[in-house]
Amino acid sequence: MNAWLIGDLALVGIGLPVAIWIAARGNAVDRLVGLELTGVIGTLALLAFSQAVKQPSYLIVPTVAVVLAFAGTLVYTRLLAPRS
Amino acid sequence: MNAQHVAAVTLFGLGVAVVVLTALGSLRVHRPEDRLHFLTPATALGTPLIGLGLAIVNGWSLTTAQIVIVCLLIMITGPVLSSAAVRVAGMREGSVSRESPE
Repeated sequence: MNAWLIGDLALVGIGLPVAIWIAARGNAVDRLVGLELTGVIGTLALLAFSQAVKQPSYLIVPTVAVVLAFAGTLVYTRLLAPRS
Repeated sequence: MNAQHVAAVTLFGLGVAVVVLTALGSLRVHRPEDRLHFLTPATALGTPLIGLGLAIVNGWSLTTAQIVIVCLLIMITGPVLSSAAVRVAGMREGSVSRESPE
């Protein structure tokens, strides 16, 4: 187990469950903030995992994830805005 | 383990600590606006620290370029998403009109 994997485990084991917890509770805006936090922590965890397993080709996953997280969260902000 | 590796691991560890602490800190507040304040250090401080640590250990390479791109995207999109979320929160509370900013 190397330092990168320990950091990755901290992100996945502590940060990500907290973000998912926030994304699963409260009103719609609370969950939107949780979704944003989940996207950031998930992307960073994927970056660390790529380094931990020494597979640079895995970096395409966080590259796509950060773009999709941005677009997906923006869609939710559009849908959650009141219509009138 | 040389000094370069130690510096990389230290920066990476600091970044992970910042991100984990901001996630735990956002549990202690309840308003969405306050939670977004806690999200800012994760995107503005934790992300560059993690990216810098990974970049140092990989040296000048295409891997580093891709890591830097991902980190830059997080740092650019984070404030945009935060402001969009705050705007939605304001619209739902009635303090921000749908037409703003005009």
